[in-house]
Amino acid sequence: MRRENVAIVLEDIVGPRRVLKRPSELVVYSADGLPSYRKQPSLAVFPETRAELIDVVRALAAIGAPFVPRGAGTGLSGGALADDVVLLCLNRLNRILRVDPANALAVVEPGVVNVTLTREASKHGLHYAPDPSSQAACTIGGNVAENAGGPHCLKYGVTLNHIAAVTAILPDGEIVRLGNAAGETDGYDLLGAFVGSEGCFGVALDVTVRLSPNPPAVRTLLADFLSVDAAARATSAIIASGIVPAALEMMDAPTVRAVEASIYAAGYPTDAEAVLLAEVDGLPAGLDADVRVIERLCMEAGARTVKVAADDAERARLWQGRKKAFGAMGRISPHLVVQDAVIPRTRLPEVLARIHEISGRYRVKVCNVFHAGDGNLHPNIGYDATDPDETVRVHAAMREIMQVCIDAGGTITGEHGVGLDKLEYMDLIFSPDSLAAMCQLRDVFDPERRSNPGKVVPVRACREWQAARSARSA
Amino acid sequence: MTLTVGAATSDGTAAVAEAVHAAAAACTPLRLVGRGTWLDAGRPVRAITSLSLAPLAGIVDYTPGDLTLTAGAGTTLAEIARVTRAERQWLALDPFGSPEGTLGATVATTSAGPLAHAFGTPRDNVLGLEFVTGTGAVVHAGGRVVKNVAGFDLTRLLVGSWGTLGAITEVTVRLRARPEVDATIVLPAPAAPTSLGALLDQLRAAPVAALAAELLNAPLAVQLGVADGPALLVRLAGNADLVRAEQAALAALGDAAAAPVDVWDRLRACEPAGAAVARFSGPPARMAATWTHALEVAERWPGTAAHASVGRGVARCVLPTGDARALASALQPTFAGTRIFERLPNELWATLAPTAVADRLSRGVKRAYDPHGLLNPGILG
Repeated sequence: MRRENVAIVLEDIVGPRRVLKRPSELVVYSADGLPSYRKQPSLAVFPETRAELIDVVRALAAIGAPFVPRGAGTGLSGGALADDVVLLCLNRLNRILRVDPANALAVVEPGVVNVTLTREASKHGLHYAPDPSSQAACTIGGNVAENAGGPHCLKYGVTLNHIAAVTAILPDGEIVRLGNAAGETDGYDLLGAFVGSEGCFGVALDVTVRLSPNPPAVRTLLADFLSVDAAARATSAIIASGIVPAALEMMDAPTVRAVEASIYAAGYPTDAEAVLLAEVDGLPAGLDADVRVIERLCMEAGARTVKVAADDAERARLWQGRKKAFGAMGRISPHLVVQDAVIPRTRLPEVLARIHEISGRYRVKVCNVFHAGDGNLHPNIGYDATDPDETVRVHAAMREIMQVCIDAGGTITGEHGVGLDKLEYMDLIFSPDSLAAMCQLRDVFDPERRSNPGKVVPVRACREWQAARSARSA
Repeated sequence: MTLTVGAATSDGTAAVAEAVHAAAAACTPLRLVGRGTWLDAGRPVRAITSLSLAPLAGIVDYTPGDLTLTAGAGTTLAEIARVTRAERQWLALDPFGSPEGTLGATVATTSAGPLAHAFGTPRDNVLGLEFVTGTGAVVHAGGRVVKNVAGFDLTRLLVGSWGTLGAITEVTVRLRARPEVDATIVLPAPAAPTSLGALLDQLRAAPVAALAAELLNAPLAVQLGVADGPALLVRLAGNADLVRAEQAALAALGDAAAAPVDVWDRLRACEPAGAAVARFSGPPARMAATWTHALEVAERWPGTAAHASVGRGVARCVLPTGDARALASALQPTFAGTRIFERLPNELWATLAPTAVADRLSRGVKRAYDPHGLLNPGILG
């Protein structure tokens, strides 16, 4: 069906003001949080109610039109964009339908903003634990699609561990209930499969999330080091000690300087080679003992100073610097690539040294700001994409860093998702049979592959699998 | 007939793939078997040939500083406990039954015990796995790191799939450091549901972050030697300052006494072979109502054990199978929450819970990974 006719069908459902058609209007929706990918959707549609969303998905099914579900567009994998698709924008479905403090549950529409949910839950002494750095803007639907993480996932787990149930509409228009918010489930864990499916399995109509009690006490520490290696060794020592910090984050010197030069200045020492931000939380009793152990382990690893935030204001300032680090880097360079590899935590010192060596060899500026406690690295490189020589060096350095992480026993993405950005790395860690098994799962939910086409599994892997399948059945 | 595959894990996977290929060629359905400790769980399997995964035993990779461990699916939980204890770590999964059960079976059946209160079930503790599909393909899912969103989550799909989508050959799990102090407190629990609700509200509000909180009915409390009436077992862990403060907080709720920490091992082993086991669950705030229902079922047979994971809202009854008609009548679906049966006499499955995989997506998943219906046919209905 022609683009104009699809627009007419969608306008019949949501009205003309909530279908964008002009290229000038659509340009805003041509990228996500990673500016290096640009794709031009043919239309963008903004359903405002559950009924409208259902009608839109069913209309697209009847037409056979591919679509991409999109939350706030804060993703960092080029996941919520594609050429010539209908962009299904869910940010207007932003109602918190129910908060059930007695069972620590909330039922929300997919477009509810992460921090809005936590703010609502805080009226009952609860919060929604996964806290990606984009939490002020990102949506719960997007978090579910990406299986989002965040600094506090070290202790509290990722999105998967906080979703009790989802009502989803499959790309063919069927509505299914996954999981069970009122008791146990048996049978296949289809909810577990849906979380992190990057919009390829369908669209959430509502999400039942588990809320967590606010910790009665919190201590935040900042340790600074004269070498990245010492900070990495401190991280390994803290993890091995058995204390489970609520968060354990590392920033290297370039990151610290970028933050301190920005409006997000947090008071990090700018002459340090690395800082560790550690947080412990829980019941007040015993917390100070944990703080003392962390202080000791940092000092033993070679920390210059360790300071404990004196009050909530100082705590908030220390965290603001960390959460806005990517924003602060935006001041320095027009373009940014960011990786998301995860490595075994004992390999941190060695892998960080290799990253340093690679960045020197390719003459690129790598900043490291990451979830050290999980081994989830975010090496990022600011550059100018209009400089072809620099662009080539940046991408070559990135590929080499990724290979180092994989060789250390790591994975290519810990929380950002594969999207478009990591497609090229998928067959470095998965065999053709494993990729084929992923295609098979996708085909159960979306046999026409209309929902977020071309993401997660390289197309050639699916083609090969389909060829093999038709050969077998022939 | 039992097929036995080679011993070393890497070769073992190839041997499993070969066995599945051969079974496909001969159209012979396979019953997947670990150590055989849970063979009476689940619906009856329509297969006369067994494929033993027990030889796939052994630790493949364990770097204590990473707090992760990779082991062959046939490795027993007891072996993992032994190896990790030496490093003051543990795998925080304590399913009911024998510790001689295998890691693969624990994951495949998503079996969990009291520690699920703090650490969740196998889906929350498995980082990656390797499996052989019903077409003999060897698939790797997830990885060996603690955070991973690379590709669609086949790990979660396989956890709890009871061997019907693939034979799990290797598993990587997340470990935890053993706490400095690990202490258990027993509190008397009221029999009346209304007073029980009040106690549970107090427990929820108390400054206590328990590893486990398990309610025992009177016969079970007596059997375990912790009380002579209904009781609440609370497991506390952390540094000495924390546990001391938590013990004081619990003492304010009732007549608290210390219980030996091995009470948890004895609770896991509490059910006799051949018992029927039913779980009832609902929202945690309705625990008292769920417990009342569980007691109504259990009390039809004096002396029968029932217990509940109060933070999760799950009650569990261990019932005798001598009189199948009485059992069927006790387990009629009068309960408003969710009922899951771990073990039942074969003839009762068809009437009480014919299938757990009736929906279109579940049937599609089964068709995708086991198109010939070779793996554990019937166990999920």
